[in-house]
Amino acid sequence: MTTATRAPTATQRTNVDRFLTLIRIALITFVTVGLLAFIAQQISPTNPFAEWANPGADRLTGSAFRELVISGLNIGVMYGLIALGYSMVYGVLGFINFAHGEVFMWSVMSGWITSEKLFEAGLWEDFFIPALLFTVLVSVTVSTTLAVVMERVAYRPLRGSPRLIPLITSIGVSFFLQNVAIGLFGPAAKRYPQLPEWMSKRYEVFGIPGLEVEGTKILIFVVSTISMVGLWYYVERTKTGKAMRAVAEDKEIAALMGIDVDKTIVRTFAVGGAMAGVAGILWGLLFRSVVATTGFLPGIKAFTAAVLGGVGNLGGAMAGGITLGVGESVGPLVLLEPLGIPGVSQLKDAVAFVLLIAVLLFKPSGLFGERLSAEDRA
Amino acid sequence: MKLSKKILVLLGILLSFAMIAAACGSDDDSDETATTDEPAETTDEPAAEEPAAEEPAAEEPAAAPAGDYLGDGSLGVVTVASGEAVQIRSLEAITGDVAFLGLPNERATSFAVADYGQIKGFDVSVGTGLDDLCSAEGGQAAAQTIVADEQVVGVIGTSCSGAATAAAPLISESGGVLISPSNTSPALTSDLAGTAGENYNVGYYRTAHNDLFQGAAMANFVFTDLGLTTAAAIHDGDPYTQGLAQSFADAFTELGGEVTGFTGVGKEDTDMVPVLTEVAAATPEALFFPIFQPAGDFIAAQAPTVPGLEATVLLAADGLLVDGFLELPESEGMYFSGPDTRFGENVNEATGKNASDILTAYEAEYGEAPSAPFWGHSYDATTLLLEAIDAASYLDGDNLVIDRAGIREYFSTVAGFSGIIGSISCDDFGDCGSQKITVIEHLSSADIEASKANVVFEFAPA
Amino acid sequence: MSVEADGATPILEFRNINTHYGAVHILKDVDLAIYPGELVCLLGGNASGKSTTLKTLLGMVTPTTGEVVLDGEVVNDKPTSYRVERGVTMVPENRRLFKRLTVKENLELGAYLRTDKDGIANDLERIYTMFPRVKERLSQRAGTLSGGEQQMVAMGRALMAQPRVLLMDEPSMGLAPALVQTNFALIEEIHDSGVAIFMVEQNANMALSIADRGWVLQTGRVVLDDTADALMANPELRASYLGG
Repeated sequence: MTTATRAPTATQRTNVDRFLTLIRIALITFVTVGLLAFIAQQISPTNPFAEWANPGADRLTGSAFRELVISGLNIGVMYGLIALGYSMVYGVLGFINFAHGEVFMWSVMSGWITSEKLFEAGLWEDFFIPALLFTVLVSVTVSTTLAVVMERVAYRPLRGSPRLIPLITSIGVSFFLQNVAIGLFGPAAKRYPQLPEWMSKRYEVFGIPGLEVEGTKILIFVVSTISMVGLWYYVERTKTGKAMRAVAEDKEIAALMGIDVDKTIVRTFAVGGAMAGVAGILWGLLFRSVVATTGFLPGIKAFTAAVLGGVGNLGGAMAGGITLGVGESVGPLVLLEPLGIPGVSQLKDAVAFVLLIAVLLFKPSGLFGERLSAEDRA
Repeated sequence: MKLSKKILVLLGILLSFAMIAAACGSDDDSDETATTDEPAETTDEPAAEEPAAEEPAAEEPAAAPAGDYLGDGSLGVVTVASGEAVQIRSLEAITGDVAFLGLPNERATSFAVADYGQIKGFDVSVGTGLDDLCSAEGGQAAAQTIVADEQVVGVIGTSCSGAATAAAPLISESGGVLISPSNTSPALTSDLAGTAGENYNVGYYRTAHNDLFQGAAMANFVFTDLGLTTAAAIHDGDPYTQGLAQSFADAFTELGGEVTGFTGVGKEDTDMVPVLTEVAAATPEALFFPIFQPAGDFIAAQAPTVPGLEATVLLAADGLLVDGFLELPESEGMYFSGPDTRFGENVNEATGKNASDILTAYEAEYGEAPSAPFWGHSYDATTLLLEAIDAASYLDGDNLVIDRAGIREYFSTVAGFSGIIGSISCDDFGDCGSQKITVIEHLSSADIEASKANVVFEFAPA
Repeated sequence: MSVEADGATPILEFRNINTHYGAVHILKDVDLAIYPGELVCLLGGNASGKSTTLKTLLGMVTPTTGEVVLDGEVVNDKPTSYRVERGVTMVPENRRLFKRLTVKENLELGAYLRTDKDGIANDLERIYTMFPRVKERLSQRAGTLSGGEQQMVAMGRALMAQPRVLLMDEPSMGLAPALVQTNFALIEEIHDSGVAIFMVEQNANMALSIADRGWVLQTGRVVLDDTADALMANPELRASYLGG
């Protein structure tokens, strides 16, 4: 290192810093004004500040707000489940597997095929619970298999090449999986069969009056929680989980411990695929519709959630998913609507990505990410 | 290491801004096209070549003014040599999600050409059907191909309003005409009160209705027939849905109703609770969402679960008046506006064929009923173009000479033309449709054909 | 063949090993033999091929020609895990702990291939008595420990595999001088418990002071092969490695 190469780096750094600081200030200002306007509007839509911000302001009712939060949490836990797959693969292999969103889509797709067949056989309505369990089993098997095959066929031959190469490959795999789905099932939207009455009914939760949640959404929360706890136990408390974390940190030394690194990587893909499978069937039950492009947006959002939470960190992936889900659900109406921005619900995706920027600006390693020292990365 | 991380963050930010910009893409498009139709010196490349190439041809009519024909030669002429065919083109959405809309249009055009026969002893060729991809980009690319061929005198298309906003300026500048069977955006013609729409171009005509009528029809139905006084509208950012939602809102307000919410969703959105919560704040009695599948499916399914919308009447337009949507149990009880497709035995005066003959021929040829209602509009549009060519051409020796200005002149005089869709008259801004709108009530997802015929409201401009 | 070749089978042996990284010839006709219970060291400067020797022993690098022999069995095509299972393990250079895992998890991973629960528990206790400091930090993440503590965990982790031969890559690297002393005392202690030790070290003085035998590697070739005492006395070696 000579001083000559160092000098421009230093000035570059300050310029970049200055620019980032400006953006930080702008973000804080925007969020503060938005929040103040929201509070003003909640106190009274006719108060001068709220009027100034948005002449047509309406107060957001408690039940509406609750609905937004519940729906956001719902989407959020599903983002979180998908994000786990991104995070785990990144942790172990250090690249973002962009085809993971398609693994999710394939789960929704298999869920549709299975439930449709069961419906045609008259089993879906008469034996709903076993039929649902069977559907879950099929979907999770499909997504897990797909993830494992993908690793074996597309990524293992690239082990040891620069990270950019598997990354680009994963984009290719993603297109491939999407187009195969179009080829097999056509581009039109497929509909899941109707759910039984008691699934779509609303139930009072925790005995809190007014806090009513649909059966499907309760199911989503319960299943996601169980999956998360199960995964946490698997990764943190079992020997294989320990091996997985060891491989993530240092493959060579992990091998020195006698760990079969290849097998562990396959397991990582399998577990990520299974989580996407669970998310897929939940998604199918909630929205009851699937197309070949269903995986794209949730995939991108889940990837965002993984980065938001600190990529490589499992708790972070879940927290990132929930933050993103609630953020994009609540954000438009709480931050943007009071500012009089028209058509705020269309800005949902923008809110999600701005949220990511905001977090990265203040904590570049994500919400729960650890700062890796140079030695760790070497 | 630290620096590169910062640069990464910075890149991330730029990337995200780019994504946001892309998300607002539809707005950008309309801005661009808005600037191109300033009565423009914006000479696009093909337009620049065009006059130069036409100059020698333009001298001919002065030498041989043979007989009675429309046109003053101001846009140049096209000379079709003996044995050659008169060239027109079809520009429809024939691939992808929207192929269901464009394919029947393209097929009806070929029927019309076959039924019409020769023009002054010359065959008419549609060439290979071009694809508008239902997007501005697709419309632009196809239009450039079209204007590069000087023999082409007219185009039937586009299927989608978005494609027309890009294709119409190019075709207009080259002196051609574009006649759409299914564009309905008011921006392409006029506000029906004498002001040109922001994407209006001379030489653009359509046999489809203007969505101002569809919006007005729905507003009248909701306000007068259903007796509801509050309503909200949701679009998906597309010029068609945005225009229709807007015209509904304007007409509803004018009638004395209150529009409590006007907002948009993303075409790829699945979770509609946020947007529905936004409109539910004012508990509207009616909710009009003239969008497409699959976003429409999610709104129909989720709306009844959102507090404040449980009892709201759901309304949609022809975009969702498709089998895939009507088959959903959630769509039962909804109302749909759309063009009046009860063509009955209407006869096209140029070919003498009636609507049921054409339908029978269509089904015989393609083994299915038309997947969208604009086949009649397309048939009429094509015969109008052929009539215009006939009126604006003359024989010069063995050659047929067609005056481009004459074709436009013909359209300005169309009044009371009897077509499949009814009586056709063109206004000053190219609106030639019959403008008849019907509203149907969807009774049962098990019998969608019955629902399609269940007209509860008719609307035609005074 | 070897100075201490008294008829016993070597536990680990290189027979005429050659290795290449691409076109670069690293190890050239290397013969080594480590006998049970020995403490031997491999000396050499930078890029002399010391690390490659260790990696080849463990199966992380495959030799182009020659045989790696473990307990009389040729293991050229056997993976690292197989060799670990047969009693070879290593304390890597710079310790290379799993920094995000707890101290306890690091130790447990050392016993990854073992299934004898009681034996593992016993060995853990043994390590706690050997390194009381480690016991205090069991639930801490390994990355938060000091360099000396990390060295203890690294040794503990290797011992958990119940090695018969322990490879040590630069045990004095990056440690304060006082810690180097303790460290070598520990190595002797482990050696005394019956484990054969093969140490790669730049600090020749220190290494030879506890070793039985030593080799000197120069640009991939074994140039000296003798007892530790003889090597200490070798004027050539004194000049190049022993600083005097």
